[in-house]
Formats: sequence, C-alpha cells, structure tokens
Amino acid sequence: MSSIKQIPVITERKGNPLARVFDEFVRFCRSRSLFILHYCTGCGAIELPPAMTSRFDMERLGIQPMVSPRQADILLITGYVSIKTLKRVILTYEQMGSPKYVIGICSCTVNGGMYWQSYATAKKLDEYMPVDLYIAGCMPRPEAVLAGLQKLMDRIHSGEANSWEDYFRNYDYYLGNQQKLFGENWQTPTDIITEAKHYDLIDEGTFGKHTQLLEQHQKPLEALDMRLGHDLKEPTE
Amino acid sequence: MAPMELIIELLLMPLVAFVVGMMMVLMMRRIAAKLQRRIGPPFFQPLYDIVKLHSKQTQISHGLIHDIGIVMAMGGYIAAETLLPVPGMTGIAEKGGIITLLYLMMIPSLGLALGVGQCANPNGSIGIARALTAMLAYDIPLVIVIFGVAYAAGTTNLVDIIAVQQAGGFETWGAVQMPVLAIAGLIAMHASLGKQPFEIYIAPAEIATGPMVEMSGKYLGGLFVMQCFQLYTTSVLYVSLFLGGGTTWFDFLLKSFLVLAIPVSIAYLFPRYRTEDLLRLMWKWPVMLGLIGVAFVL
Repeated sequence: MSSIKQIPVITERKGNPLARVFDEFVRFCRSRSLFILHYCTGCGAIELPPAMTSRFDMERLGIQPMVSPRQADILLITGYVSIKTLKRVILTYEQMGSPKYVIGICSCTVNGGMYWQSYATAKKLDEYMPVDLYIAGCMPRPEAVLAGLQKLMDRIHSGEANSWEDYFRNYDYYLGNQQKLFGENWQTPTDIITEAKHYDLIDEGTFGKHTQLLEQHQKPLEALDMRLGHDLKEPTE
Repeated sequence: MAPMELIIELLLMPLVAFVVGMMMVLMMRRIAAKLQRRIGPPFFQPLYDIVKLHSKQTQISHGLIHDIGIVMAMGGYIAAETLLPVPGMTGIAEKGGIITLLYLMMIPSLGLALGVGQCANPNGSIGIARALTAMLAYDIPLVIVIFGVAYAAGTTNLVDIIAVQQAGGFETWGAVQMPVLAIAGLIAMHASLGKQPFEIYIAPAEIATGPMVEMSGKYLGGLFVMQCFQLYTTSVLYVSLFLGGGTTWFDFLLKSFLVLAIPVSIAYLFPRYRTEDLLRLMWKWPVMLGLIGVAFVL
C-alpha cells in the first residue's frame, strides 16, 4: 500500500515562478537538515554510533540525533519489532510532525528476518506504517546506513518522499492491520482522522470498516491531570 | 537622531544579530566536531535547520500560552539586541542602559517557562525548573560583575562604558583594568550559555532536552533562532563590558567570536554538573572573585 510502488507523476505547477523557487529552496533545506529519532529495537542500533561519531560523521550531511519524537523528522527502526514494541513505535510515529520519514534498518523490518517463525514479532513494518526506505542487511554496515540516508535525501529533494501522506490517505488499511494484531479495542492517543481532515488529506482509503470499528469504542481525549504522584495508566493495553 | 534613521537601526540590529548568531552556532558546532575529530556540519547548516523547522507541515500547538511563550522567548532577545551598541549603530542603547538590558535578557527564560508549562510534559517541567534555578545561580555573579564595571566607568550607559574603554587604547580595556572581574564575568557568561558543564536544563540523556521536549516545527525553529540571539547577546555584552567594544566591524566580530570560542571549547570537554553543584559553584567562585574585583574597583 505504500506509495513507493506507485510511479511518481510530477505535475508542472502553474502560477508564481517565485513560489516554485521557494518550494525548491524549502525542499532542499528539508533534505539537508534531518533530525533522526533512533528507536533502538534490535541489534541494528549498534551500527548507528559509528555512523554518528568520528569515523563516518553523519553531521556533515546535516543529520543529527534528536531525543523526542516531536523534534524528529526520521524514525529509524533498527531491528526486529515485537508486538509490544510495535505499539510504542506507532505511538511515537503518530506524535511526529509531518513531513516525517520512516527508515527500516536490518532485514527483520523487511520480512521478519530470523524471527520469521516467531509468534511475538511483527514481520513486515510497512503493513503498520508507511516506510520510506529499507536498508537491508543483517546488520547493514555504517556505509550502507549512510548510503541509504543519502538516497532518502535525494528522494526528499525531488519531492518523492511523501509516504507520510499515505498514512492519512490509507488510514483504514494501516488501522486494520494494527487491529488484527492488537485486538479490536486498539486506540492511540492521536486522533488521525481529525488530523487528516484538518490538513486536507482525506482520501478514499481514509475511512472504511476498521475506522468505523474505531469510532464505536473511541474514547475522547482528555487533558492530563496536572498533579504529582498520580498513577500513570498504560495507554490501551 | 532622525526618526527614520532610528527605525532603520532598530530593524537592522536584530537582523545583523541573527546572521552573526547563526555563524556563531556554526562555529560552536564546528568546534565540537573538531574536538571529536569529525568534519562537522556544512557552512549553511544553521540556516537549513531553521528553514526546515519553519516549513514543517504539521504544527503541534499545545495552546495559546505555548504560542505566546515562544514569542516572548524570541522577542526578549530581539528587544535586547536594540540595546547592544555595535560599530556604527547604537539604536536605543543610550536611553536604555545596562539595567534594562539585564531585565530583557531574563524575559526569554520566563517566556519559555510559560510556554513549556502548557505542554504538560514532566520532562519539560523539570527542565524549566532547572533553567530558572540556573538563572538564579548565574545572575548573582553577573549582576555583581556588571555593577563593578558600571561603578568603575561611573555610568550605566553601555555606549559610555565602551567610549571610556576605547579612550586609551588597549590599556583602558575592562579586562586589563579589572582582570578579576573579567574572569568572574567569563564564568558567569559560560553558565548563562547553558553549555556543559553547566548544561543542567537541556540534559538530552537525562530529561530529553528539558524545555524543548514538546517543541516541534516552528516552535523548535523559534528556539533555534533564540539560540542564535542568545550566543550573540552574551558574547557581545562581554565584549562591550571588558574588551572595549569594537571600532570597526572586523575588530568587533573577531572579538565576539574569540570570546565565545573560550566557553564553547571548554564545554565539549566536560560532562555535566548537577543542579545543586552548579548553585554551589556559581555562588562560591564567581561571586567571590566578583566581590574581590568590586573591592579593587571601590
């Protein structure tokens, strides 16, 4: 369902030529400044420190690590995703500000890798969230990570890397896969449908029988109680 | 001064500060890279970061106070720039004076406290509590130092303080006349930059960048702009107080970048203090040095 399969059609935009120059500039800046949030799920995380530090130095490409999902542009999933972890990954992904990109590192994110027969592991990451780029390997070397990131930079610069829109446009598909794994009561604190309406990203795939199921049991979001020492409840286990 | 000229200066001074501040951020990141034996970011990296953050398509706001807090954080420094004389432009520095400048430099921390409060993130609240504690720690030596300099010069007007220092060349510089105060000022300035070892309120590994934890898109972009202004304001204030300001732009920028390079080079060699250690250190050594320096001046 990801937009990688679709052949990109670049339509010539009419109107102000200055606006085109401005869009080009913004796309260039987006591709040259990427904040990564590395969600270190598996063994692939061990390849990131050498990619960041003095041997390979990510910062010369404008890539630097950030610590909270709000600040980040890229979500790096570095290894196998167990079902319990996948809930956290989805919560993290939904909190990030668009445009956002997901990179799956290691073969475990591609097809489950050596965890193919495991009952507790989510096999294909792109069934649950749109993935921009896979870096296959067990594990990929830092050179491969950097090459993958450069490829993502090219895609951002050319305007092809907009699979984050896919999550809004085909929300029913992704929600269906999530419900299959987590049960019918699955709900995240982020209201994707309202967000899609607000940013005008509603498409045919946004609504369906899975979103109807969500609407039946969806609890409205409440503001957090502002006091110390109250019991923190797990979000919809 | 003609009103038109004044308006142009008031517009130009923050703009110059922003451009110079971006270069200071670049210098900071390059120094960090060199110390860690890396190559470091490209020349326009601070600009790319700011443009990218402002062009995010979803802007996650947590409410009105959150928006106002960021505007206060940036606005406080923008107002402060108009009170800092640069070569050829004085803005409203003669009318404002150094005490107003000190007040304006406190506004960003308070604005950030307001904005972060509405995010309701515990890491943010801890961060901002630490930021205000750190402000309490470094403001006392800073005020003692500034009082000493103002007493020695006999005025709180920053333009006059610079003129007094420039009168006799190198020997009348504040750093030569009052070396003890200059050292105390350097420590207080380092703490006010919030860099290691005084990085208690950012602390990415501990409280996830504290005040910035819920900021995304243009909110984080606003804070990046604020950081440019912060580096500029702090180093230019130090240059004006102790290194005789600048007669030419070359002179002025060279001094500001050199002064900033000192704390930044120290910063990336050290880990972080805890909050109570920072308070103990700031209220002991810079305050003691500052009081000795003031005693010499009196």
